[in-house]
Amino acid sequence: MNVREDYDLIVVGGGPAGQAACLALQDRLARVAVIDEQSRPGGQILRQPPRAFTVSNWQAGGTYRKLKAQLRAFETLSGVDWLGGRSVLDVRAEGDGWRVLVSDGAQVASLRTRRVLIAAGCYDMTTPLPGWTLPGVMSAGAVQAFVKSQRLTPGRRIALAGSHPLQLLVAEQIIEAGGEVPALAFAQSLQSALVQAARRPMTVLAHAPQLLKVLLGGLRLTASGCRIRFGDRPVEVVGEEQVQALRLASGAQIDCDAVALCFGFLPQSDLVRGMGLNVLQGRFGGWTAVHDPWMRSSRPGVYVAGETTGVKGAEAAGAEGALAGLAIALDEGLITSVEAERRARGPRRRRGRAIRFAELLDAIADPSVFLSQAQPADTILCRCEDVTQGAVDAAVATVETPNAVKLSTRCGMGPCQGRNCEHLLLQRMNSVEKAPQGFRARFPARPVRIGDLTA
Amino acid sequence: MRSRQGVVRGRPLSLQIDGRVIEAYEGETLAAAMLAVDARVFRRDTQDRPRGLFCNMGVCSECLVDVTQAGQPTRRLRACVTDVQADMVVSTTRAET
Repeated sequence: MNVREDYDLIVVGGGPAGQAACLALQDRLARVAVIDEQSRPGGQILRQPPRAFTVSNWQAGGTYRKLKAQLRAFETLSGVDWLGGRSVLDVRAEGDGWRVLVSDGAQVASLRTRRVLIAAGCYDMTTPLPGWTLPGVMSAGAVQAFVKSQRLTPGRRIALAGSHPLQLLVAEQIIEAGGEVPALAFAQSLQSALVQAARRPMTVLAHAPQLLKVLLGGLRLTASGCRIRFGDRPVEVVGEEQVQALRLASGAQIDCDAVALCFGFLPQSDLVRGMGLNVLQGRFGGWTAVHDPWMRSSRPGVYVAGETTGVKGAEAAGAEGALAGLAIALDEGLITSVEAERRARGPRRRRGRAIRFAELLDAIADPSVFLSQAQPADTILCRCEDVTQGAVDAAVATVETPNAVKLSTRCGMGPCQGRNCEHLLLQRMNSVEKAPQGFRARFPARPVRIGDLTA
Repeated sequence: MRSRQGVVRGRPLSLQIDGRVIEAYEGETLAAAMLAVDARVFRRDTQDRPRGLFCNMGVCSECLVDVTQAGQPTRRLRACVTDVQADMVVSTTRAET
């Protein structure tokens, strides 16, 4: 695929936001490509099984019905080049457009486009604790993706620990796929979760069906023998060559061969920051892309939608994608502003509703109940370069900026490009003023063989 | 652990991981194929500690392994976003990181 190609629009991310943007454009823009690291569209929320698999009743629940309908509609669009199984390494300004470097794992292609939509989604926020680098410890999103797409449970007994209600859903999906969940531990107390809900009665009322589903899920889990603990945070993962047990603050030691951590999510921001788009620091770390009411970023020709603008779920992502699609049509002169305004009403309403629900979830799932706890100094903070929290703290005491800490400790210098450790470092620096920028974004956004770059 | 309920996988194929021949199915990611046979150590860190896959969505690079395919140079690829191919030769051990 080393052919140079020109596009009118390149969408990075084939999840709900990217799909909705393409659907809003209705094939009226001639040359559109959607790039995604997964071979099939869907995003993390709908990680589809591979084409070579036949899966019956895939993601059958009502939670996924609307998203699946949108996905099917997207897959029938004829005017979109689906560039799946490819990673975007870089997006840089060139003339009046953008140059996008894409790798399929073997070859690197260089594509040109007049407009770009970054709808790159989010990823699980890392939360260090002793033993969290042992094989078998993974993010809840990792486990969910294996179950949804590969029909595999990455362990026989998978203990869940975190603060995010999503872990109730993950637990059910593990059990449905034939795995065991010996423990599900919420770091916060049940009371604190209920207080957060009670503070937002209108949101609770408006989303009663979803909340009821969560409650029923919890009851089903309890009935199936999975004990749900509250106010019990993970303190250590025990094992030699791999996970053997999870130890909780209460002293409980759970025998298991895998641990899934579920404390929340951070927006994918590497491309956004590399492109020099304006960002704001998220409440729990990470960077959210700044946008206008039409999802236009701070640079002309570049749009942002979905979790890239702040993590608030698939429904909001779809609404933002639709708005971005309308904005692109409007900016291209394909529709009038009257039509754009009219068609934007629905997505704006859905977005507002979804944001209020996301705020409720954020308040309930607040990871600071865990992150504020001190970890032993020898706990690894930067997984790529094996930099401990103690080493980072020592550097933080002597230098001023995240980049300086990176230079002196190697924290953030590995192939994850700081995605796993930057928010942790900024928390150690404990000051947004002291570290307003975080690490400088570096090429490439994803690993690539140098020989493939120069071929 | 592969779930058997309601799923028909692709055709079986075999590949090599650290000299061991394993069975996998067309459509599986290399990460899934490895975990299915309990090959859970994807690399060793600077202090020779075992390390496993973490994010399964291409973000963390913890699952980087050396992959050789016929007629291709060895590449360090993320196992979670790499599909298995027949006769792939995979190594989780390397002299330097």
